[in-house]
Amino acid sequence: MNIIVCVKQVPSSNEVRLDPVTNTIVRDGRAAVINPFDSHALEAALCLRERLGGTVSVLSMGIPACSAMLRDCIARGADRAMLMTDRAFAGADTLATSYALSLGAKKLAPFDLILCGRMAVDGDTAQIGPELAERLDIPHVTDVFDIEPGQDCLFVRRETDDGVERLRVPLPALLTVTRELGNPRLPSITGVLHGEQSEVTVLSAQDANADPDQCGLSGSPTQVTRTFVPQGRGQARSIDGTAAEQAAAIADIIGEVL
Amino acid sequence: MGTAPALIHPMTAEFADYLRDESRTTGTADTISFPRSEADVAGILRSLHPAGMPVTVQGARTGLAAAAVPDGGHVLNLSRMDRVLSLREQDGHFFVTAQPGVVLLNLRKMIASRRFETAGWDEQSLAALEALKDAPEQFFPTDPTETTASIGGMTACNASGARSYLYGPMRRHVTALRGVLADGRVFSLRRGQCFADGLRFRLPLADGSFVEGSLPDYHMPQCKNASGYFIAPGMDLLDLLIGSDGTLAVVTAVELALMPLPNVIWGATCFFPSEQSAAQFTEKVRADMKNIAALEYFDARAMDILREQRAAGGVFARLPDPGGMGAAAIYAELHCASEAEALDGLRTLAALSTAAGGDPGRSWVARTELDRETLTFFRHAVPESVNSLIDKRRQTVPGITKLGSDMSVPDGRLLDVMELYRQTLAEGGFEYATWGHIGDNHLHVNILPRDMAEHARGKELFLRWAREVTAMGGAVSAEHGVGKLKAPFLTVMAGEAAVDGMRRLKRAFDPLWQLGRGNLFSEEDGK
Repeated sequence: MNIIVCVKQVPSSNEVRLDPVTNTIVRDGRAAVINPFDSHALEAALCLRERLGGTVSVLSMGIPACSAMLRDCIARGADRAMLMTDRAFAGADTLATSYALSLGAKKLAPFDLILCGRMAVDGDTAQIGPELAERLDIPHVTDVFDIEPGQDCLFVRRETDDGVERLRVPLPALLTVTRELGNPRLPSITGVLHGEQSEVTVLSAQDANADPDQCGLSGSPTQVTRTFVPQGRGQARSIDGTAAEQAAAIADIIGEVL
Repeated sequence: MGTAPALIHPMTAEFADYLRDESRTTGTADTISFPRSEADVAGILRSLHPAGMPVTVQGARTGLAAAAVPDGGHVLNLSRMDRVLSLREQDGHFFVTAQPGVVLLNLRKMIASRRFETAGWDEQSLAALEALKDAPEQFFPTDPTETTASIGGMTACNASGARSYLYGPMRRHVTALRGVLADGRVFSLRRGQCFADGLRFRLPLADGSFVEGSLPDYHMPQCKNASGYFIAPGMDLLDLLIGSDGTLAVVTAVELALMPLPNVIWGATCFFPSEQSAAQFTEKVRADMKNIAALEYFDARAMDILREQRAAGGVFARLPDPGGMGAAAIYAELHCASEAEALDGLRTLAALSTAAGGDPGRSWVARTELDRETLTFFRHAVPESVNSLIDKRRQTVPGITKLGSDMSVPDGRLLDVMELYRQTLAEGGFEYATWGHIGDNHLHVNILPRDMAEHARGKELFLRWAREVTAMGGAVSAEHGVGKLKAPFLTVMAGEAAVDGMRRLKRAFDPLWQLGRGNLFSEEDGK
């Protein structure tokens, strides 16, 4: 089975802060990392390859520095990596991003399966997977937590508000996956050294024969009219002392509110 | 600040937790207090002194040697002295002064985020904080496994951790402290300002008086050591207080030197076919590599226990699977200036691992925060898993406790001490798991007794090891401190005459033998 895993680079800090003046994400110099949900997708792909054979390719759109993340994916076991990077791709919303990724996927074809994380932790849209599937005209299932191979198909389970759905998905298909599919395996020393020596295929907009009107800002109908930091709604107060003192302090606070 | 009598509570049932610590030993006490300031501490001690009331000092009660378990009298619990008092900058170096109840985890968060509770800080500290915000990221390197340990407790037992291999124990990072004697007199000590004259010492106190006396004529083991007082002719008296196990004074503030965080921190766990090949790898890494901050060992049984925990599910299900990787493992942590240097480090580790019989293709590397957390979790899950295994056994045999060793030997004796452990454990038919700081020749051998007879035999074996490790020039406690549980080992290591000298030294600070009664040594033998 030939699998493409879409991966995104996100800030490493799990305490993302917004600049109070510009309302943009503060990039405080900490290293960027693979979107955690995408790392579960990579692990799922590697497990499927172990069972079924085939290849695992990782695909990303981003700045040139993303090649380090892609090498890390190779260190963990991916066979090859492709980075779509071009100023023409900059400022893309999910529609323009899915367009660029669809071109990359076509370059990596033939494929049987595309795996994406269920969403990116810095954008939280969860739109890329379904949009990419629509662009490639293949079926997709979101929020998959279990994958079982069948004959020319996969049996997958996904969690919904009403329970668990079990679906049969013909291939090729796209799945977005959840953390239940497993934490990413640790690379070995040999894997890290191999990853550092590996080539990442770099694709520009021109290389991909991209339509400039569908790329980057030009191809992004999403308009961000305002970003803001929500106001805090309350203040935490810690109480200590003996149990009796703490109870008295809590009673006082309740008294103040009433 | 409260008045002393108002701060002292009778030891009622609601305080029962304060009769225990992580050693799972329980003591007795009549009263307890939770001071918030040095003035509170001094007031409480002054009120208890005339009656000669025993006082056991507590931090976060995470110690493994029962130093915080009371032996009657009063419990002075410092957990509410939990403020960072000031910050100092000197020539680009930063120094944090913390009350003893500050928890390591919280201190780390404050340093990493550069956010402190600054109420009450002076102008100099506020200016230092601004400088800290513009400076390269800093860290405090002492890293005991238990991150809820308190700074006071870590000072009292001269704590270490995995990274002490490169950065040394707590002692190396304490630049000043303040303390209160059992009679309520206050002192402050700054490194480089107060030295013993040969073996005579004279510690000036804030009221103009002095503590004077003689240091015992005793040579400490030349290896990682947290066994009894730090003693050396002409020593800095600050070092006498660090590692004194709550027996000389109550520490009320500790100034800690911070360090710039290395640009690149990568971890690598290498697996080996036998403990001998793991030990050979250790000796080669020690000789050839200068950018290794930690070298940690896991034996086959430790990994078996983790595999069992992993299979049982729950929080341990996210452990990486060590199944089939090897019979022994070494975790090495690289602290480097650049990724290129760290990659070179990995190449060297690969070569040394291969030479020792390992396979760098079967190893785990952590380069991201998440992966580092995974390997840290793996490391910390070993003692946790052993504790829960022992807890299960206690349900049928309540008297059983884990028997954990904390001994170290000088460089060159690692293979000897591993052979001693292996041979004697096999002779005794014990179940055991071994892990720990192999870079410092400091392994925690944990006997897992199945019944009380085995428990008793295990204790006897530890005493034998104390004698044999002493003969190798080693230390009977390398990082946990002696406390109450390892007091017999201190006498084995230092000898009766030296321990008598330590008793005289304690009496100079604490004539009524109030502080930390039962820690290090008993009072009686010295009378």
